[in-house]
Amino acid sequence: MEKKGAKRKVVLQLLEEHGGMRPGVARKVSEETGVPEADVYGVASFYTLLSRPGAKTRVCQGLTCVMAGAEQVIAELKARGEEVEAVSCLGQCDRAPAAIDAKLELIPGAPSGGITPSHDALAIDLAGEDDPSYAAFDKARDEGPDWIIEQLKTSGLQGRGGAGFPAHIKWHAVRTQAELTRYVVVNADEGEPGTFKDREIMLRRPHRMIEGMAIAAWVAGAAKAFIYVRGEFRDCIRALEAAIAEAGERLDWLDIEIVEGHGAYICGEETALLEAIEGKRGMPRLKPPYPTEKGLWGKPTLMNNVETLACVPEILSRGGEWFKALGKTEAGSKLYCISGHVGRPGIYELPLGVSLDELVEAAGGYVGTPKAFSPGGASSGFLPMDLRGEPLDFGGLAKLGSMLGSAGVVVLNDTVDMAVAARWQQIFFEDESCGQCAPCRIGCRVQRQAIDKFLDARAPESLGHVEEVAWEMDAGSICGLGMVASLPLQSAMKYFGEEFDHE
Amino acid sequence: MSDNDIKLEIDGREVEVPAGSTVLDAARKLDIEIPTLCMDDRVDPAGCCRMCLVEVEGQRRLHPSCAYPAAEGQKVATHNDRIDRHRKGLLSLYKADHELDQHGRPVSRGVHNRLADYLDTYGTGPALTPVDAPRVARSESLETNPYIQFDPESCVVCGLCVRYCDEVEAVSAISLVGRGSGTTIGTADQRSLLDTSCELCGGCIAVCPTGAMTEKPSVTRLPQLQPPKAPTSKVRTTCNFCGVGCQLDLHTEGDQVVRVTSPKPGTTLNDGNLCVKGRFSYEFIHHDERLTQPLVRGEDGQLHPTTWEVAIQRVADGLRQVEARHGTDALGFVSSSRCTGEENYLMQKLSRAAFGTNNCHQCAAT
Ligand SMILES: Cc1cc2nc3c(=O)[nH]c(=O)nc-3n(C[C@H](O)[C@H](O)[C@H](O)COP(=O)(O)O)c2cc1C
Ligand code: SF4
Ligand code: SF4
Ligand code: SF4
Ligand code: FES
Repeated sequence: MEKKGAKRKVVLQLLEEHGGMRPGVARKVSEETGVPEADVYGVASFYTLLSRPGAKTRVCQGLTCVMAGAEQVIAELKARGEEVEAVSCLGQCDRAPAAIDAKLELIPGAPSGGITPSHDALAIDLAGEDDPSYAAFDKARDEGPDWIIEQLKTSGLQGRGGAGFPAHIKWHAVRTQAELTRYVVVNADEGEPGTFKDREIMLRRPHRMIEGMAIAAWVAGAAKAFIYVRGEFRDCIRALEAAIAEAGERLDWLDIEIVEGHGAYICGEETALLEAIEGKRGMPRLKPPYPTEKGLWGKPTLMNNVETLACVPEILSRGGEWFKALGKTEAGSKLYCISGHVGRPGIYELPLGVSLDELVEAAGGYVGTPKAFSPGGASSGFLPMDLRGEPLDFGGLAKLGSMLGSAGVVVLNDTVDMAVAARWQQIFFEDESCGQCAPCRIGCRVQRQAIDKFLDARAPESLGHVEEVAWEMDAGSICGLGMVASLPLQSAMKYFGEEFDHE
Repeated sequence: MSDNDIKLEIDGREVEVPAGSTVLDAARKLDIEIPTLCMDDRVDPAGCCRMCLVEVEGQRRLHPSCAYPAAEGQKVATHNDRIDRHRKGLLSLYKADHELDQHGRPVSRGVHNRLADYLDTYGTGPALTPVDAPRVARSESLETNPYIQFDPESCVVCGLCVRYCDEVEAVSAISLVGRGSGTTIGTADQRSLLDTSCELCGGCIAVCPTGAMTEKPSVTRLPQLQPPKAPTSKVRTTCNFCGVGCQLDLHTEGDQVVRVTSPKPGTTLNDGNLCVKGRFSYEFIHHDERLTQPLVRGEDGQLHPTTWEVAIQRVADGLRQVEARHGTDALGFVSSSRCTGEENYLMQKLSRAAFGTNNCHQCAAT
């Protein structure tokens, strides 16, 4: 029950300003906002950057960074007496092992990875010159919303945030709501291990994304747009601010607010993200109702991923057919993130549906003898190399029981023990479960303990319940996290059974 | 039936419910039993315990019946192999996250043990080892409040206590704290409830499905792991701490009252709710110094038992003497919030009509 006039929306920001979850801070923030103290404390305890505050080095323990020696980095820093914390994937897999300093700034290490050189048949074109003219927006406005939605439909643009949901359906759904207050939200929380494409869009082509967002807002009839950026992406936040300033009066009609994340992968899930913007614990909501119907503060909300929106200006400039033809098995060009055991980790924009071999060729070839790959982040599990020729697209990978997700491709060579690799992914899901629903809250821990126990004694019987628990997590969980959280372990056991037999 | 009625089918049986009903509402109308842990009619559904999932035709995923809107023409299944497998699997997980007694049953120190009930009814799937969740709860030594005990290891994190405290009491003294497997119930800075906005109403206890929130005095007197010392029974009575007339169920062990609860929500005027006095202030019943008969002070300065007639006569004489010596306005009449409205009315009548003074007051009238 919200007290009248309570300023809940600023709770997270104030918690950060006052130094996170330290004694007395909840009371102070409660006095400043009118939100009950226990509630404020509960919110603070949810977000790792607030619940474990402090000036320290945060080292990524995502799979790619671990394969690149993150554990040694942590050990060395500790030996030097520095305060260190191992954290979930930082979205810097192309410069693994990655770490951020006390101010959340990236610690200079390896330079950022490769990107596709600029050429004409690219919808995003990371290497191209960012264009602040907003000409696509002007064209879109002249042609009108129905034309825009029609172009999106023709283009076959599928959401790039993970689910691959056709963009035009959401745009149309928000547009046709009876309620007239609507919002647009850009999902820039990029946290899926192995994924770092949105980061590079915001750094290199911020106008392209902002233009897509402006078009979305205009079609949706929204006067306010939020960009929810993960808090660890300091340089992206600066790039967006600079671009918004540069766009100047061209975007005057739209109120744009950048909201920073505070350390919770689950806030990438669309409804958890809405809760976070509202100043609450980032626990996913039940669906239905969907955000297009009841989103931010109960109002129709159009949410898209950074890459989805960044595709829009070129689609409208060059036409839906043009975009569609860029794809191979499905529509459009796609940013593939690739890291792990390849020559030049980075982000490669390729026709949607290329195979792993084609992608790795662009990324400088395999390093060592490849053994397994993850096609779409931790959530997609592992696949064996005999599937290296399969198209990396939404439909095909789903049929294989995996997913393209955010296209965070990780390659593992034969130096990697699949049980150990699976364990790191299970650690990730246990750390990042929001804890709201029992199948995921308890199941993630059960699965992680199962693989821990297996690795302790190489005793296959410790894995006896993995399948049944996975079934229940899939069937019973509220959101996508719990549904797929067993996949790394399940798929490793399925495709690399010999590594789980005995020792 | 109004125009708003929705017709749907549950387990092949047709039912009509008003618009705005949930699938669970509809199932209840047909007396179809669906297990629930996180729902209570007094608060908004959260759909988080996942106990009540059902199959809705045309939907790929199972949905929580407590929150899923009933719709015209909907076809719902509340039991089949898939739902059965889900319930068993879920109960296995709950069990692995719960304090168990020596027989492997979930421990509850309260009046409800719904988890154990459901385990009995629906069975379990895989036998999992305890997960030993990393919950950080309030330290017991700091939690000095006399009434409310929280046992994190018996908590299923259904969040009902938090939602009750917020939505019904509008107090918000507690919150979900932490994340993932460490999620538990806490207060701001994990202070004692006495140092929060808590009113010690005990509503969080009443809604708790697994006795993780319990009456501290009852637990210390009634360790649930041992058989009760004497047969227990429940006696319905009316709370006499104020004139509202809340109904109470006194739980007795032999001739001792050991716990007080409210009748079920929706059955009496207090709708399942009580305040700190009704729920916890019963120690006086068995107190050594409790007054059980009228006492009058004798010439020796000591109090002596007497009859009501004598006692009332003594009061009347005293009042008249003061009136005669100092006038009516030297008298004042104060009545108690433990009196009914009628009794309070009579008290002011006594003051104004019988003695003619406006010096009358009631302890709750400030
Ligand atoms: C656990 C979980 C994490 C997610 N993380 C992200 C994320 O970091 N970024 C993102 O854009 N979408 C993420 N999503 C997908 C969003 O829920 C949502 O589908 C997406 O933002 C919609 O935009 P799109 O249609 O443009 O893809 C996540 C989903 C789940 C279930
Ligand atoms: S599935 Fe996991 S992350 Fe999603 S709501 Fe449930 S506990 Fe939270
Ligand atoms: S006793 Fe009442 S006020 Fe206190 S925490 Fe429980 S529900 Fe809230
Ligand atoms: S204490 Fe009881 S009511 Fe509160 S969350 Fe735990 S099980 Fe639910
Ligand atoms: S009672 Fe429906 S999910 Fe808990």
